[in-house]
Amino acid sequence: MVANTTEGPAVAPRRKMSILFSLTLILLLIALWVVLGFSTDVFWTQLNITNLARQGSMTAILALGQTFVIITGGIDLSVGAIVGFCTVIVAWLLQAGVPIWAAILITLLFGVLIGAFHGFGIVRMGLPPFIITLATLTSLRGIGLLITNGSSINIVNDAFTNFSVADFLGIPSLFWMVIVVAIPAVVFLHLSRWGRYLFAVGSNREAARLSGVNVNGMIYFAYILSGTCAALVGVLLASRIAIGNATQGDGWELQAIASSVIGGTSLFGAIGSVYGPLIGAFILATINNGANLLNLNSFWQRIITGVLIIVIVYFDQLRRRRL
Amino acid sequence: MTSLEEISHRHDDTIKTEASRVAAGSPILELKGLQKRYGYVEALKPATITFLAGEIHAIVGENGAGKSTLIKLLTGVITRTDGEIFWCGHPVALANPNEAIARGINAVHQEVVLCPHLTVAANLFLGDEVNRFGLMRKKQMVAMAQAVLDDLGFGLPAADLLSSLTIGQQQLVATARAAMRGTQFLIFDEPTAYLTRKESAQLFKLIRRLQSEGVTIVYISHRMEEVFELADRVSVLRDGTHVGTRLIAETNDDELIKLMINRSIEQIYHKEEIPIGEPILETRGLSGPGFEDVSLTVRAGEIVGLYGLIGAGRSEFALGLYGRQPVSAGEIYWQGRKVKIRNERDAMDLGIALAPESRRDQGLCLNLPIGLNINLPVFNRLSRGPIINKKSEAANADKQIRDLSIKTPSRRVLVSAMSGGNQQKVVIGKWLSHGAKLFIFDEPTVGVDVGTKAEIYRLFAKLLRDGAGIIVISSYLPEVYELADRLHVFRHGQLVASHDFHAATHEEVLGEAIGV
Repeated sequence: MVANTTEGPAVAPRRKMSILFSLTLILLLIALWVVLGFSTDVFWTQLNITNLARQGSMTAILALGQTFVIITGGIDLSVGAIVGFCTVIVAWLLQAGVPIWAAILITLLFGVLIGAFHGFGIVRMGLPPFIITLATLTSLRGIGLLITNGSSINIVNDAFTNFSVADFLGIPSLFWMVIVVAIPAVVFLHLSRWGRYLFAVGSNREAARLSGVNVNGMIYFAYILSGTCAALVGVLLASRIAIGNATQGDGWELQAIASSVIGGTSLFGAIGSVYGPLIGAFILATINNGANLLNLNSFWQRIITGVLIIVIVYFDQLRRRRL
Repeated sequence: MTSLEEISHRHDDTIKTEASRVAAGSPILELKGLQKRYGYVEALKPATITFLAGEIHAIVGENGAGKSTLIKLLTGVITRTDGEIFWCGHPVALANPNEAIARGINAVHQEVVLCPHLTVAANLFLGDEVNRFGLMRKKQMVAMAQAVLDDLGFGLPAADLLSSLTIGQQQLVATARAAMRGTQFLIFDEPTAYLTRKESAQLFKLIRRLQSEGVTIVYISHRMEEVFELADRVSVLRDGTHVGTRLIAETNDDELIKLMINRSIEQIYHKEEIPIGEPILETRGLSGPGFEDVSLTVRAGEIVGLYGLIGAGRSEFALGLYGRQPVSAGEIYWQGRKVKIRNERDAMDLGIALAPESRRDQGLCLNLPIGLNINLPVFNRLSRGPIINKKSEAANADKQIRDLSIKTPSRRVLVSAMSGGNQQKVVIGKWLSHGAKLFIFDEPTVGVDVGTKAEIYRLFAKLLRDGAGIIVISSYLPEVYELADRLHVFRHGQLVASHDFHAATHEEVLGEAIGV
């Protein structure tokens, strides 16, 4: 039967609109900075900016990994739990006397394995991403607590813990890690054919498959990237707080998803970028930081974050509908 | 009073009593110049049909003739572009499904649209539950439902889950549901497509009973024998045009089939004399999900047409051949060599291209740009390692857009913003840039305007001249009839007949596909 014959004038190229959208996000971020600069004395101090960069960096890396998964039309609820679990793993390895480089590598490998397990659950067992990642969220916290017997493992390794407070060229090393992750992410998502395949899988899995795309492989890959990013954040967090504790990173998965969505990623898949979630993460970090400086009740931070998600995503939807 | 009348009595309101006041045999629903356009595509050309109260009125026509459009218009699912609808003598809007239902117009679809996880009784009363003090009276509903089912002679348990019934039994439940709502005008859309003979007989009994209670029935079917068994009158649609209405007593199979397909063969079919070469593909006894024991050969320079009704196994055969579905038995020979095709990549690497049946579900990434869609099968060729060469990416997309004259300001436009014809060109462009020895086009011109159709057929000739072979799958007989050098007819998953170009008449081919 005559199906979707959408008539109408040709549509303005999408690229211009998305540049416009990312500009509004950056403007929002700058506006927040300006407002906070006027309303507090300490915002533009070096200490606070460094602090802000450190806070935002970890969410940003999580949000990047999450974005790959969301582009395929999935979701990864386990990233917060992976962070907590990996602080335990890396602390445990260091306690056992494993060299730093090996401890980090093994911890990252755990992230790869957890991501691969998600891929397995989705592709082979046919479980919805929401379910399989929810299951690992709760199990990983349990395993981490078992390992530590419910307490924390102290990290007594200055070389490891100094990393998080170190600067390089005046920029906190944690922020450098964002750059280290973001550059290959840009290459992967925007310059390589795997990136195109990722979008195709998120848009129409069947069409991608019939065009010769290895759909299952791409799904595995997306969850492995997300798991690895989370493991990296686990290492960074362990370095920052000098303990391994399985309850760390509580609720960070929601921060990551929120950053990604604020950055223009569509939860229906096939729409997303690298810079969007990065900006989204720093917007959230700025709100948290600002609320602290303004002595706002910390409960307000949560409310403001919620309202912001609704407002930004609503405007994003309006923009898409017009397209 | 029977249980059915008792329950449907709950629904008497002014509108329906109005309908029941129309004397049997006088017009209850009149369509005057009713018309539906999607953009430039006329799904239904101005149609004037009168339905008489208490009659069984069959509607026949090929796939794409406009039957579904007509049903959707009558049930308020879509709104008309032009024309008038009179219900009991008054003009009505039928702007939404609720209005249709409120006036007593209901439809029973080929696919059952009920809730499989609820009980039969809950489905029968869905949206209209029996309450007391705001609480549902489940026991009473089950008892009432059972009484209705028994009254209708179905022998179905009202307390069982709908999903525990066969599709045929679910169809009966859907019909009972419509009957319970005091329906005055009931449309059946190919209700027997999935039914066994016994279930069909039960359904027919119910239809006759509803008729005897004054309900007007519209019955849409491919099956001639059903039309002659049930209907009082029959209307024929062809290419969106209402070409005639006949009294069943005054017509016969031959006349109806002629009306259904006797169209002037337009100039759009473009067939050149192209020498036929060596076999490219041969299947021997190929079987898989939905098709069985299919043996056929495609040669260079040849179009092989696969004709059959929807669900006859043609598309399933194509997907099996392409490695999307596992093949359970049989052999595939590629240029004389026996091959195994395990997945889509294997097929593509051999040189098979598949433009699938559904653009929306299988062919296109609708919310992504044209360029990405065109390049999707060939990104490995446009990249060095994993990194895409942006220049060749743009050049390849622009080349296809130019060659196929796809109407778009840019390769960055989203596919969802394009017309059906242009979308189909994007699907074809994907596979032209990939290049292949064997092209499979599944329903290549559904929802495509005539001009684009002609362009697509000319493109076929070009591919053939370049030495490729083509399989065209279509439910639209003239398309395969006028294009195919060899025409295979599918029915119930099997290849039931084969003809050389124009060796059989339309009537014979249609008869083989329907199984008259």
